[in-house]
Order: sequence, then C-alpha cells, then structure tokens
Amino acid sequence: MAILSSNESLLEPSLDKARHVKYWTRCLKTYLPNQYTGNDSNRMYLAYFIISALDLLDALKTVPSEQERRDHVNWIYHCQHPNGGFRMWPGTDFGKLSNEKNAQYDPANIPGTYFALATLLIYDDDLTRVRRADCLEWLRQMQRPDGSFGETIVNGRIEGGSDSRLGFCAAGIRHILRGRTSGSIDIDGQLIQDIELDAFVGCVRMAESFDGGIADEPFHEPQAGYTFCSLGALALIDRLNRPNGHDVKETNGPVDPLRVLDWLVWRQTELTDPDAGLDTELCTDEDAPHTQHAEGQHIPKGDKGDHGMPAKQSPDKTVGGSMFDLLVDGAGMNGRTNKVADTCYAFWVGASLHIMETPTLCDQSAARRYLLGKTQHGVLGGFGKFPGDLPDLYHSYLGLAALSLAGSDQVKPLDGGMCLSREARERLPTIWKSWRVDA
Amino acid sequence: MPKYADDPTWADIVPLPTDEGGPNPLAAIAYSDDYSETMSYLRAVMAAKEHSPRVLDLTEDLIDMNPAHYTVWLYRAETLFALHSDLRAELEWLNETALAHQKNYQIWHHRNLIVDRLCGEEQGVVDEEGLWKAECEFVEQMFERDAKNYHVWSYRQWLVRRFGLWGPVELEFTERMLARDLRNNSAWNHRWFVVNGRAEMEGDGGLGVEDPEVRAREVKFAMEAVAKTPQNQSPWNYLRGIVRKTGMSLGHLKGFAEQYASLKEPDEVRSSFALDLLAEVYVEEKKAKEAGEVLDLLATRYDPIRKHYWQYRKGLLGVEGAAAA
Ligand SMILES: [Zn+2]
Repeated sequence: MAILSSNESLLEPSLDKARHVKYWTRCLKTYLPNQYTGNDSNRMYLAYFIISALDLLDALKTVPSEQERRDHVNWIYHCQHPNGGFRMWPGTDFGKLSNEKNAQYDPANIPGTYFALATLLIYDDDLTRVRRADCLEWLRQMQRPDGSFGETIVNGRIEGGSDSRLGFCAAGIRHILRGRTSGSIDIDGQLIQDIELDAFVGCVRMAESFDGGIADEPFHEPQAGYTFCSLGALALIDRLNRPNGHDVKETNGPVDPLRVLDWLVWRQTELTDPDAGLDTELCTDEDAPHTQHAEGQHIPKGDKGDHGMPAKQSPDKTVGGSMFDLLVDGAGMNGRTNKVADTCYAFWVGASLHIMETPTLCDQSAARRYLLGKTQHGVLGGFGKFPGDLPDLYHSYLGLAALSLAGSDQVKPLDGGMCLSREARERLPTIWKSWRVDA
Repeated sequence: MPKYADDPTWADIVPLPTDEGGPNPLAAIAYSDDYSETMSYLRAVMAAKEHSPRVLDLTEDLIDMNPAHYTVWLYRAETLFALHSDLRAELEWLNETALAHQKNYQIWHHRNLIVDRLCGEEQGVVDEEGLWKAECEFVEQMFERDAKNYHVWSYRQWLVRRFGLWGPVELEFTERMLARDLRNNSAWNHRWFVVNGRAEMEGDGGLGVEDPEVRAREVKFAMEAVAKTPQNQSPWNYLRGIVRKTGMSLGHLKGFAEQYASLKEPDEVRSSFALDLLAEVYVEEKKAKEAGEVLDLLATRYDPIRKHYWQYRKGLLGVEGAAAA
C-alpha cells in the first residue's frame, strides 16, 4: 500500500474509527430511520453494507453478540427461496398462503442472492444451508439469449434490467458457488450446466462507449458504476483484458483496456461542490435553472483556477498550480464526464483500477484526503455523498471500502473485485474444496 | 390512524403481515404504521391474485412509499391490462410519480411497457405521432429538473428507436440541451447515439460519422464547442471518438489541438485535453521525444493529479528516463 511521505501524512486527516463503529453499531442494533422505507425492497443489500462495514472496521467479532450473529445468519437463510436463490427481503414471501398461482410474485432476486451469499461469507458461514444446485440452475435460467442477466424470473419471463450490475452479481454467485470450474458440474447426482460465458462477454464489449467508458447498454452514457460491474464480472469469470496484459483476447473484454483505463483515470476531479454557481463562460441562458442538490451541475468553482488544471476557461494563459494546493484539498472521483466528485465513485473508480491491476495510476493520497477531509461526517461517523451531507449507508460503506483500496491502514484490506474484506474472500478456497470444485 | 382497516371497501381482506422469521432481523426499518398496513393489505391481495380497481389504488399507495418494490410493478401492470384500464391515465399518473422519484428505474420500465401496449392495442387507431411527441415533451420537462438523469436519457434513446426519431428534430434537441450546458456529457452522448445509432443498431441506412458529410458536420460542431469551452472534455472526446470510428489519422486534428496547447508555447496552454491529444498525435507521428515532453507538461504543470498516469503513458513510449508506473 502507498507509503506516505512525512510531509503528506502531516496534512492527511484521519479516520475517526470510533465514530464509524458507532454509526454502524446503530445501524445494526436499532431500526434504520423511516427514510429508508423506499429501500425496503433492498434490505439484503443494506444488510451486507452493515455487516461488511463492521468487518472492515474489525468490529464484527465484538459488536454483535453470539446470539445476534446466529439470528442474523438465520434471517439471511429465512430469505432463501425454496427453488434456489434468495429474496431481497421477506416481504414477497406469502408464507402459508404461498401457492403455485401466486409464486410469480415471490421470485428469487439476483442482487439479493449475491448480497446474501457475500454476507454469509463475511460472517464465516460454511454455506452448507445454501440450496446450491437449485441456485445454480436458477442462475442459468436468469441469463437471456443475448448473454445479459435479469433481476428476477416471473412466469418464465426474465424481468428487470439487463445491465452489468446484474451481470456482476450473477458472476459473483457463480464464483462463490462453483469456484473456477467451468462447464457442467455434478452436484449430488444432478448435472448443472454453466452459464453462457461468451455471450456475457459479448454484452460487455457491446456496451463500451466511444469515449472509453462502459455503459449499461450499447450507446448509453458510460458510467463508473457500470464500468466497475463490467470489469468486475469479467474478472470473476476469468475473462478480463488488462492494460498490462500482452495478449488482449477477443474472447475477453473489454475490447480496448487502455481506453478504459484512460477513461477511469479521468474520473478523478477537484470539482466537489454540487451547488457551485454556474460558470459564466458556458452559461448563455440567464434563466438556466439551478439543478437539485443530489444531481448538481458539475461546474468548476469559477473563482478557483489555481488547482493545477485550468478549471476556468479564460482566454488568458493558464498557470499550472502548485502541488501544495492539491495536497490540502484532495480530489475524489466522479461517475461520468463533467460531473462533480461523489463519495461512492471513489470506490467504483478505485476498485476498477484495482481490478485492472493499475491502482496507483490515480492519486490515491488525494482520494483519501477527499474522503477523510470532505465527506466523512465529523459528528455522526459514516460518509455523506457530497461534502457536508449527512451520512447514509450506501456512501458510508463505499467510503470505507474506497479508503481501504486507496491505501488507508485504518480499514482492513479490501478485495476490490468482490467488495468485501480480503479475509472474507480467502475463506472461499476451503469451501470450494468441500464441494470439490477448482479454486 | 388505520387507512384500510376502517375502510368498508377493504373489510373482506385479512391483512398478511411480513414474517421476519425470528428475532434480530437485519436492516429492519422504522416503518410508519401507514406503510406496514399498506404492505399487509398488498400482500393479502397479491397472495389472492386479485385484479380489481381497488388494487390499482393500493399499488399506487405502496409505490408512492416504496417505488423499488420489484414485483408490485408487475402486479400493477397485470391488473391494468386485465381491467382494460385507461393507459393514458396511467401515463398521467406516471408523470407525477417520475417527478416525485427521480432516481427510480422501475417507473421508466413501466412506462416503456405502457407506451408499447398503447401502440400495440390501438394499432392504427392510436395517434402515434401525438404519443411520442407528448413523451418527448415530458422527457424535456424531466430534464429541467435534472439534465443528466440517467434513466430519462435511456428512455429518450428508447423513444428514438421505438418511433424511428433519427432525424434532424432529434439533433436539434441535442443542440438545445447543449446550448443550456455545453458540458452536459449526457447530451453529447445522445448526439453520438442519434448520429451513429441507426447505422449500428437498426442496419437500415445511415453511415453515421463514416459518411463524409456527416463527419464534417460533426467535427465542426465539436470544434465550435471547444472554442467556447476549451477545458471541456466532452467535445474533445467526441472528436476523438470520430477519429477512432472512422480510422482517420489523428494528424487531422493536430493544427486544431495546437490552437490550445503547443510545445512551442508551454506557458500558454489553454486545455489539458489538447495536450493529451497532442501527445497521441506525436505518438502517431513516431515522435516519442515530443510526446514525452507533452506528457511531462501534463504531469508537472497542467494535470498533476494524474501524474502517475502520464508517467505510465510515457513508459509506454519507451522514452528514456520515464518513471515506471
Ligand atoms: Zn454516490
């Protein structure tokens, strides 16, 4: 990991670990605020954030009691679907009223399944209660003829989007449940076929944009989250072309790893203020509306042209800034070209670079300073989306994960490819051995 | 204050609460009583597969509180179709819902479904042009709130493909969006789609930027944008996208890039993107020394945040003294 020179470490704010542990303990032990109701159907993924965050903070063995740990694991298995896979939350299970007719409204869910398995792994569960054959058979049915994966299957129809978030989760499920064995495998006398790997790789290759990033679908705007999910999924199925790899294969993706790398490093930006005033140079319409806080316009602070890059377009010559300004300010990552930095993209971009085996090509020190100095919440712990924002589970988790990848030694080492601690991922080979699949 | 329990319309329904399976469920939320009740009634009618007008009210209520519920949307669509409901009224309702929940994917998926159904059901009767025009107008209304909303741009692309809107009107739309914000990369991306998507996705004519006239028009468009905002990456990427797609030489852009950055005037650089492009031009010209000098300018003066990346690029040149990345 990056070694700080003495002069850098002086300027670097630190992780207020106790406050973060407190934040996550509250998330684990008390009800989440009512504002999370809109995420009721995403509870498995909130559960994964909570458990994995406590793990990254090395507090998972101390914060929940033995009994609570058992209850948590049981809750995850309670969400397991009788025909394989997991639900996102128990809300679709009709219990005693379940029957063949209403089964269509109670499907297993691809992200729900990945996050359930990942959380079990983090809790050091041996996965013996997972209906493995059913799950892998269901996974195969979740793939469309074009290679993409859906979210659920309802009445034989694959529902939900077709983007790489789902592809990543599908690749993760496959990885956890069958290791590196490709082709058909025998599980308790049942022959389970593999997913169509070539078709899936084709989907990712098609969604590469003209500017180097990867989108959810061909011709959509590239975005760092989809780029991570695409690269991550390819890595999980051993089909990733890396920029330093000498053999860029046509059966792998992305088509042009150097272009993707270029797009990724451009995501680092000093633009942080979503409410910054409109840039007079580009705004010709006096009535241009101020956009909402959550998706603010990524306009440089018009009065700061001194950040080492000519942020303000003046016809006058631009003077390169000193490194000192950058060291103080930090720089996070945006998700798309010309947008402001946002905590979560420090993970999506940092982890993409990590998967590409070029983690140091961005400024990791500046990324740490952005997270610790700008979006970490000084009172509540956790991280907000933008500087000054209240923390939420999503940004608080991805902030910690990003910090680990950016070289902080205050968080456990992270496996960027699966977004959980390396320690958790290293439990897989033992589990695979018990299933007699390749590690 | 119970909403459904006291309502005679719902008197025949036994609510079905969610079973968390045991103590200490994970990520439990402090639901309002209203939400818990609505959810229990929804679960009861879903379990019974009831398709009735009151189901539409109930799903509307639930969606308003939890639009991410993935099967409630399917249930609602089925109910709408079973009752032969007025799908235009559904679109009206979706307008409000989309404005209230800007980040939700399901709303737009549902909208696709309804619009498709309207065209299929009333084939020959429905005023398709009126329909897509209204849809395009609504999309523009959404862009007034957030001109980069990913779902809305995806929906706009779907409209273009569904109704074959590849013509000049759509190009003018991108120009209108870019006039509001020349840095709106979503609008640039949409322009790329309108110009090139038909050739690649429909295979029914149009060469995109491989047509010399189209290419000239698009190059001019992007160059004019650079002139207004030299430190705006979107038009630079657009230019480079054209070069890559058509296989033309980067050398065609050399003179243009040198208006914004040149080795002769290292103190007068107006765009780091011009420098980046210039470095690639020198690579194409096999001038590794000059390419290295340009990359040094980026690393030390004009884009130090990506210092390691510029050094890495220099390493790819095989230039002596380049730092290993
Ligand atoms: Zn975010």
